[in-house]
Amino acid sequence: MKFDLDDLYIEDACRETALARRVIARATAPIHFVEDGRAAARPRADAADSFAAGKRRMVIMRRRSPFLMACPAGSAQFACCGYLVLTLASNCPMDCSYCFLQEYVADNPAFQIYANYDAAFEELERLRASAPARHFRVGTGELADSLAMDSLTGLSIDLVNFFAARENLTLELKTKTDEIENLLALDPRGRVMVSWTLSPRRVFEACEHRTASPSARIGAGRRVLDAGYRVAFHLDPMLAYPEAERDYIDLMDELFSTIAPAKISFISMGGLRMTTGLRAAARRRFPKDAMLLGEEVLADDGRYRTFAPMRIRLYKILADKFKAAGGEVPSYLCMETASVHERVFGAPASHPSIAGERLAIR
Amino acid sequence: MLRDETTAANIRACAAGRHLDEIHTERWLAMLTPSRLALLEIAERLNLRTGQLAAAIDLLDEIEIRAGASPAQTLAREEIRRACAGAGSTPWRAAAFIEALRRIRFPELQAAIDLAAEIAALKRPAGVSVVLPKDLGSDELTIRIGARTPTELENALDALAEKKPGLVRIVKMIGGDDQ
Repeated sequence: MKFDLDDLYIEDACRETALARRVIARATAPIHFVEDGRAAARPRADAADSFAAGKRRMVIMRRRSPFLMACPAGSAQFACCGYLVLTLASNCPMDCSYCFLQEYVADNPAFQIYANYDAAFEELERLRASAPARHFRVGTGELADSLAMDSLTGLSIDLVNFFAARENLTLELKTKTDEIENLLALDPRGRVMVSWTLSPRRVFEACEHRTASPSARIGAGRRVLDAGYRVAFHLDPMLAYPEAERDYIDLMDELFSTIAPAKISFISMGGLRMTTGLRAAARRRFPKDAMLLGEEVLADDGRYRTFAPMRIRLYKILADKFKAAGGEVPSYLCMETASVHERVFGAPASHPSIAGERLAIR
Repeated sequence: MLRDETTAANIRACAAGRHLDEIHTERWLAMLTPSRLALLEIAERLNLRTGQLAAAIDLLDEIEIRAGASPAQTLAREEIRRACAGAGSTPWRAAAFIEALRRIRFPELQAAIDLAAEIAALKRPAGVSVVLPKDLGSDELTIRIGARTPTELENALDALAEKKPGLVRIVKMIGGDDQ
């Protein structure tokens, strides 16, 4: 998959970085050098949809805050998977109608990539040194798709090489693309996991604009598995529309017929959840998307969520499917309470650090 | 059927009379003629208030996106006709009309909202309160027992035990079954 850019902005201080040189050599969009990339990342007043316009404007700049952080979805309110986020980029060239970035990066919607990512590796080294006996799962796919622009940036090469050489770190590259060519030429030494967000075809067609089809994602999963990577899948957000139960089961049948359940590191699940601001932005940008018009209620955490019995029913059907698959596919819920977790899996959720470690080494 | 421009003028007059905002008025006018006429007829017959008219336009729009039914088709449904033609005052029927639209838009949720009526029907003993989660936003039902003496507590617990099937049914409806 290749995504077109309208413009490429490069911060002066990043002009000679390896990332900038690679992108300059491959990009076809007009290049502009700017003193401060933050200005280029801000919304354009003349754009009818400044968020969408931002997706077509790449800014190569320095990151001015730490790269590594706990997953922003984590909270004492919820069962948590102990995921750590490495923010190497912000925003995404794809345009899913339910995406939280529509609110989260509304004030700086350009596709930002941080050229000083050597500092991220230093942060990871400090993390390892702080707890040499622990194992950490670190992902780059929270505020951006991990692989969407990889043919242009080549970031995955440095990442895989770094993680492959470090025993107690697992890298998770999360994507909705089939952009895996760079990965296939590398040896991850079992320390890199590629994960795909998966949705039934009906959700893909209605909501997941410019992404690879579910079948293409599953096919890419099979190819990276054969190349020595671990694979995982995220059914998140799950949408509870009238035909959802059948569609999600069919999707799992397709997945398990391509990748044996025992070969899957985990499958996570999470229901659609939207703050009031995100819900308004999503409905404004995608007014005809029926998937955004479910039966939601305002939950205790201030987010609109699918009415509890509907989403719990969907989780349980899939949890049963995972059990019946024969490989005992590990699974967890994202941003759900401990009580929902217990009702779905029949056991309490693990502590985040234990869950994180288990998912990292599986 | 009225000619289109006449309908538009009537809709504008109806909307202006109720101080309906421009966005909702435009969405009403954007409906196909049978739909906008059907809503106009109901708005006038039930004397819908501003908020009710805006809610009706929102709900009809969402039902059309979700289910593919035009507003005219939705407004022709039996439950809508029943709500509009039922006994009771005009304001009561207007409220029943909006309620009927909500039932079509949020079928599972509305079934749960009916829990409120079920709880009322439980005839709880004195000192016992059953509290639904706010906005049905969680799966947690709260039951409070207030007692000052051992006898009061015993009576409340005994009475509560008799209500067990009804309470379990309520928990299933707001959070789903364990099975």
